[in-house]
Amino acid sequence: MREGRASPGASSGNVCPEAEAAKLLPFLAPGARADLQAAAVQHVLALTGAESGRQLLAGQQALLQALSDLHEPLLAADPGLPARLLGRALDPQWPWAEEAAATLANLSREPAPCAALMAALAAVEPGQSGLERLVCALCTRGYNAHAPLHYLGPLLSNLSQRPAARAFLLDPDRCVVQRLLPLIQRSDSSVRRGGVVGTLRNCCFEHRHHEWLLGPEVDILPFLLLPLAGPEDFSEEEMNRLPVDLQYLPPEKQREPDADIRKMLIEAIMLLTATAPGRQQVRDQGTYLILRELHTWEPEPDVRLACEKLIQVLIGDEPEYGMENLLEVQVPEDVERQLQQLDREQQQQQLDREQQQLAQESRVEGTAPT
Amino acid sequence: MERSQPDAADDNAMDSFLDKFQSQPYRGGFHKDQWEEEFDKIPLFMKKAPSEIDPKENPDLACLQSIIFDEDRSPEEQAKTYKDEGNDYFKEKDYKKAVISYTEGLKKKCADPDLNAVLYTNRAAAQYHLGNFRSALNDVMAARKLKPCHLKAIVRGALCHLELKHFAEAVNWCDEGLQIDAKEKKLLEIRIKADKLKRTEQRDVRKAKLKEKKEQNQNEALLQAIKARNIRLISEAAGEDEDSASEGIGEIFLDGLSSENPYGARLSLDDQGRLSWPVLFLYPEYAQSDFISAFHEDSRFIDHLMVMFSEIPAWDSEQKYRPDNLEVYFEDEDGAELYQVPPKSTLLQVLQHPRYSVKALTPAFLVCVGSSSFCKNYLRGRQVHQIK
Repeated sequence: MREGRASPGASSGNVCPEAEAAKLLPFLAPGARADLQAAAVQHVLALTGAESGRQLLAGQQALLQALSDLHEPLLAADPGLPARLLGRALDPQWPWAEEAAATLANLSREPAPCAALMAALAAVEPGQSGLERLVCALCTRGYNAHAPLHYLGPLLSNLSQRPAARAFLLDPDRCVVQRLLPLIQRSDSSVRRGGVVGTLRNCCFEHRHHEWLLGPEVDILPFLLLPLAGPEDFSEEEMNRLPVDLQYLPPEKQREPDADIRKMLIEAIMLLTATAPGRQQVRDQGTYLILRELHTWEPEPDVRLACEKLIQVLIGDEPEYGMENLLEVQVPEDVERQLQQLDREQQQQQLDREQQQLAQESRVEGTAPT
Repeated sequence: MERSQPDAADDNAMDSFLDKFQSQPYRGGFHKDQWEEEFDKIPLFMKKAPSEIDPKENPDLACLQSIIFDEDRSPEEQAKTYKDEGNDYFKEKDYKKAVISYTEGLKKKCADPDLNAVLYTNRAAAQYHLGNFRSALNDVMAARKLKPCHLKAIVRGALCHLELKHFAEAVNWCDEGLQIDAKEKKLLEIRIKADKLKRTEQRDVRKAKLKEKKEQNQNEALLQAIKARNIRLISEAAGEDEDSASEGIGEIFLDGLSSENPYGARLSLDDQGRLSWPVLFLYPEYAQSDFISAFHEDSRFIDHLMVMFSEIPAWDSEQKYRPDNLEVYFEDEDGAELYQVPPKSTLLQVLQHPRYSVKALTPAFLVCVGSSSFCKNYLRGRQVHQIK
């Protein structure tokens, strides 16, 4: 998951208070004495009580970074912190909501704060799910006029590691995951896109929901494939095999620029092929055509590898009886180890081959390899 | 019905009352022959109310009506009555009358916003079923002004947008409604439908755009091919317009494209970059014509004539038109001079002749039997040139 970096907010203009605040920094270092740490944290938190204090803090990137690294003592010092930060992040008027969201995104990377956040979300408002508010804030453009709230994406992604969050996201009586799908196309923030795709990938672990996800009520596959598709000119026959969203893409169509996100998208689709009916649906919607073109274009070796593996699944033979749900197959430990070793060797070989190629090309061209 | 009031406590009075029936005729009863009609006129037993209540015909009904719609009642009560009336009409699928009732209810301008919101929403539903989706939408928006969270109004609004093919709006309204009730089934259904239709519509737009681009490219290629061959094009109205020479070849080309010949055939470019033209052969002797939909520019006139005249055409009464005795001519732009085409020339060679011009993207040629008297007459008095 991405690291949240708090962008410097409005500075107070005075040098003195900032210098004073910066003095707190050593006490917040991870190795510092626990009681001093706690005291320093309390001071920092006290600053948030006043408007000027908040402004000051917002400008103190190092302080906020230190705070986010100190989640455990923070939580010990102030167990209500996640809930308060959440309130701030979801407050449409709060100018530093993005910073709050970034802090939460970092906090939620660890299991303990993540659990605390889930509890906070459940308690946000009786009757209205906190997660619903979170999804709403993420999906509504202009929810907060001062903050774009991109970091709610990685926050949601971390939360989706918990079954309760996934259950909410995948509730068939609601419309939650469907609202996340268009966000994959938002070109203004790779943080947001990454968070959303990460969330969806985690949801794809729920193989009991695959049929619903691949069906018309969610129709997740075209949304996952669209960022992987380029401006290819398919034949009429091939075009008709593709889902509606992938047909007749204009010549300006760009693929997802971030390689990590491309990899996550492929992983999500791979998860959807775990069951036999899922595999069939993924095949039937023309996935192979998109992946074929992607493989030709893909510059990153590890993404290419993931692409190859998925293509193998799509065009390979059906697995034997007893292995229909690949997520549930028990792989014996020693076999597991062997497979991992093989994977590593394969990747290493691939990398070596590519380095050799680069070296050859640069020898020919006379430029130094980068 | 004539009746004297009996004294309830007085049995005797009761007896005497009952005795009256034996002596005095009961005058309030139905007539033997018309009893069914009269039965139907009593409000309590009516199966169907008449659409217009005539006080003379149905005094009882008119009486009841005036009680219900009494102007002395509060606006809220009156509005509610109109609402109920509208709902009844709605149940009977009489949507036009329902709209009228709801409108009357709204005219009362009662102070209850909930009631007015319901009146607007119900009228919207009736309008929806009448196919008046825009009116329905207006009503729904009025309802939401009064009660922003009125779910039925939101559902109806989403349905209207769906019918009007405003798919994105339909999805937005569904999302707004789902904020109020996240599990509202109808909204979930409408959202799925609208989203799918929206994405299909987007695909159709992309497809049309690509088709247009492709056509443009094809036309560009055709135009380039014509230019490269130095073939002259003239527009249909060439004679009339003095400035036709200044009209760019591009415009003439596009005009020619849009003016379709009756057979719908078009100039085309094959994979080897060779053109095929739709060509008209005219036989002035019999005022007949032949149309060749795709005359490859490298094929020769004689090749086509051999095929076309392998059998004697029906109009050839003298049976003299044979491939080997036919002469082919074209007229120059002013129609003054004729040029004879050797049958072994290819189409391209003729089209490239400096005096040849193509009208409406359809080259035309005159054909007659060289040795015939018609031909000699036809050529008399005209300048005839031979081309190589």
